[in-house]
Amino acid sequence: MAGPFELGSSKKKPGDGVNDLLTFNAENMQSNMKIIYYSRTFLSIIGGVVAGILGFTSLKGFVFYFLLMMVTSLGLVAKARFSIHSYFDSSNRVLLDGFLGGLMSFVLFWTFAFDIVHIF
Amino acid sequence: MGLALIVGLLGLLILFHAAYSTIQYRGLLKITEEEFSGPPFDVVIELFLGLLLCFWAALTAPGKFLSIHPHSEDNRIVSLPANLDFMIFNHRGKAFPVEMDLKLRQ
Repeated sequence: MAGPFELGSSKKKPGDGVNDLLTFNAENMQSNMKIIYYSRTFLSIIGGVVAGILGFTSLKGFVFYFLLMMVTSLGLVAKARFSIHSYFDSSNRVLLDGFLGGLMSFVLFWTFAFDIVHIF
Repeated sequence: MGLALIVGLLGLLILFHAAYSTIQYRGLLKITEEEFSGPPFDVVIELFLGLLLCFWAALTAPGKFLSIHPHSEDNRIVSLPANLDFMIFNHRGKAFPVEMDLKLRQ
């Protein structure tokens, strides 16, 4: 894309090496990140409900969350058709982003479901 | 998009039903005075099914990834109208203003 979104020079051809990594479409990247946050938040909420119903306590629940997020990362990589670098500038974006924010909603819904099912 | 939302809602419904079953199971345990070690097997299956449906919905519903390479197929077509420098208003289309009026009236 020409204009303000281009960070490096685009005179070289696609398969030309070094400069290829510097040029990318920031607008599409933002939209991709939004999709990732959406998936992770929704799955942490669902995972929290499931962990609460199963009656997980303390460390078990967190291990469940880590496993769920690992599977989610795998799913996102599969959604990107196993070529992360054509949709994101680094692989950390798929594997790590939204992890801590998701943990908060996970704990919230975990305790919520646990209270409803097991305590009341 | 629509299909994914429906599948997600179905998964949520299944999860709610599993929660309800577990509550009933806890009530039963209270009567027989046994300890709770985990929900019954069919509820675990139900939870897994709901989780699977929601997993699929979460990956499909937000939309498709867009390529960030400036040279990729998708970006080539989109980039021309997005660039204001390439917008031209002085063309033969202005000889047919009638169709515009018709659209506005409807």
